[in-house]
Amino acid sequence: MDTVLTNTSTLFFKINPSLKFILISSLFIVYLFVQNLNTMIWASLFFLILYYFVSGLSGKWSFWFVLITLIVSLFSASAMILFGKGSHIIYHQSLILITQESLARGVLLGLRTFTFSLIGMIFATTTLPVPFFYSLMQQLRVPVRYAYGCLAAFRMIPIMAEEFMHIRQAMRVRGMTRQKGVKAFCERMTRYTITMLAQSIRRAQRTAIAMEAKRFSMTEKRTYFYEIGWSRNDVYFVIILLLTVALGFVFSSYFPLTPYTNVLDQ
Amino acid sequence: MSLNDRESWGVTNLRLAFPKKKSMLFKDLSLDYHKGEKILLLGPSGCGKSTLLQVLSGLVPDSVELPMRADRHAIPDNWGFIFQDPDTQFCMPYVDEEIAFVLENRSIPRSRMHKLIQHYLDMVNLKLENSHQLIRTLSGGMKQRLAIASVLALEPDVLFLDEPTALLDPKGTVQLWQTVRRIGNGRTLIVVEHKIDHVLDFIDRVVLFNHDGEIFADGPKETTLARYHEKLDDFGIWYPGVWNGYEEKQFQKSDGTFGELILELNHFEVLHQKCVKLSIEELMIHRGEWIAIIGENGAGKSTMIEGIMGLLHTKGKLCWAFQHPEDHVQFVFQNPEYQFVADSVEDELAFSLRIKKMNEDEITQRVDQSLERYALEEQRMQHPFQLSVGQKRRLSVASAMINHPDVLILDEPTFGQDARNTFALLDLFQQLRQEGTTIIMVTHEMEIVSRFATRTLTIDQGKLVKDTLIKSNKGARRLGYGFDEHEHVIF
Repeated sequence: MDTVLTNTSTLFFKINPSLKFILISSLFIVYLFVQNLNTMIWASLFFLILYYFVSGLSGKWSFWFVLITLIVSLFSASAMILFGKGSHIIYHQSLILITQESLARGVLLGLRTFTFSLIGMIFATTTLPVPFFYSLMQQLRVPVRYAYGCLAAFRMIPIMAEEFMHIRQAMRVRGMTRQKGVKAFCERMTRYTITMLAQSIRRAQRTAIAMEAKRFSMTEKRTYFYEIGWSRNDVYFVIILLLTVALGFVFSSYFPLTPYTNVLDQ
Repeated sequence: MSLNDRESWGVTNLRLAFPKKKSMLFKDLSLDYHKGEKILLLGPSGCGKSTLLQVLSGLVPDSVELPMRADRHAIPDNWGFIFQDPDTQFCMPYVDEEIAFVLENRSIPRSRMHKLIQHYLDMVNLKLENSHQLIRTLSGGMKQRLAIASVLALEPDVLFLDEPTALLDPKGTVQLWQTVRRIGNGRTLIVVEHKIDHVLDFIDRVVLFNHDGEIFADGPKETTLARYHEKLDDFGIWYPGVWNGYEEKQFQKSDGTFGELILELNHFEVLHQKCVKLSIEELMIHRGEWIAIIGENGAGKSTMIEGIMGLLHTKGKLCWAFQHPEDHVQFVFQNPEYQFVADSVEDELAFSLRIKKMNEDEITQRVDQSLERYALEEQRMQHPFQLSVGQKRRLSVASAMINHPDVLILDEPTFGQDARNTFALLDLFQQLRQEGTTIIMVTHEMEIVSRFATRTLTIDQGKLVKDTLIKSNKGARRLGYGFDEHEHVIF
């Protein structure tokens, strides 16, 4: 994870994580109710630009991420495009029915998926887990047991990734991979699951005991190594985000690219 | 000052059972200790020493709920606990955050934290350029010292150590005990350990347990150990001079002649993420050799054998003398659990035979043979994960050997094993080698290298730097312990 992120000193890393979390999640709700195709087009464009400037991912990762997101969006769009209802038929062949209305709805759906992923990644790639959970405890009063529990879980991820590699190697050595077919595949998955679950449960239990042995208490008052506060950056962040959203709406009314202002109506 | 004047803690008439077990782990067990004492608990694997340590610290029953009862259960106010596994003692990703976690628990003001973190790191001699370093980039030994540092942040009077070096290499072990010795000054130490070479210096009292979880000896170090010396072998304890008691089987170490060439490497490189992690100019391996691969941590020993097994990307010439190397070469992982693929010991052994579509009669016969040879008959229907550490290791070797491969490659097979299991394994490898199996193993244990290996390969910074044939013949020794009259290894 640490090699993936490029530079952790940019503006978006310095924002109060709780504020970022709440604003970003409210964006999800905002775009859930946007039915105007034009707004969605502009919004995804502006968020793509924003993502390009603030994302903490290095170039190569960023490129692949956007590409994969696009493909996923295409899939979610295609379901709507190919089988939707509508009166202006563009293409009809047995089960497949493409209409202008379904095309508009599909594109909107695809763009929504795309925008959601971008927004999510803007958050995920500029927020480090430790400050995030400290902020949740300090600003949003999240109980310490959940916060430290999640932090301990984060520590497990690289360990589990390494373990997965080992198991994969072991399977190869044991000849598991030489068996072909659906049954063998299922068996292999069962093995991965059992082994990883057994290891993880054991690890989780040991870690929990170790934490209690270090006098971790879920109820007593504690001090914090990191104090997450507020700064001018938070104001900049709010302005940037509002501007991006507002631009999307403004452009959609002044430069409508399509006639579909409400895809549900037509 | 008499002992009675000092603060003392412990349990009296402890009764404790594991759920779903018929017999009790402890029945009326009492153990008392005083402030400043340095105690070593010794006993066979599975006798309950670690559980007792958790009872003494109050982790049982406060954190680990086990049915227990005791007439008296006195827990010290300030204690710290160091566990066996270096990877599961931490909950934060970075070194400084981990120590800070303890300081937070103690409600230490934030302004004092940075100074204290450095103070505790200095105490365990953990020299890092920047204390904000990822814990997973540390070696096992450094992790354990960090565990001590974070426990020291509790300012404990009593320290419980539960086999802290079981998963460390020899160098890490030495450094850890040096640290414990230094910080142990003025503190009470209660140690459970199987490798006691470096522990004995600073211990003053030894408590011995038998297989039933009863204390049968308790007293000053010198007299107790002298009196029950032969028990140490029984328990599989690594004590100084344990190797002298181990009698190797009669064998000709090496007269310089080996069988035919079975593996040739030429300008061989192992790659990881497009970087060359290991390179070998030229290497020939012959039938019947016992090759020990040695080197520092992270030098590339495991990389080398993984490369040879084709588990990593390689460049250059890697040429086996077999048409289908996968049928002739077997690999045993450091952690046996990763390679278990079945739900019972029996199926685990039969697995690779079933892949080869061998007929069931022959499979049953071979499985029975293996179960007997590797002393796993009673465990035949158990799930591999339920076995003890030693049994797991044996099963992993047994399932690799069931195909009668020509080459057996092992990644630190004696790691984390007690002395008894180690010797039994070595006897077994010795027997396999005499039957013509080539053994290639990564190891840190120099005694194994000097006693068994016919050749050592030294890896340093990703390069094969030394290739030594060991010709010294220690001479014929008497047929040693560990084999019964049918040449089956006794575990």
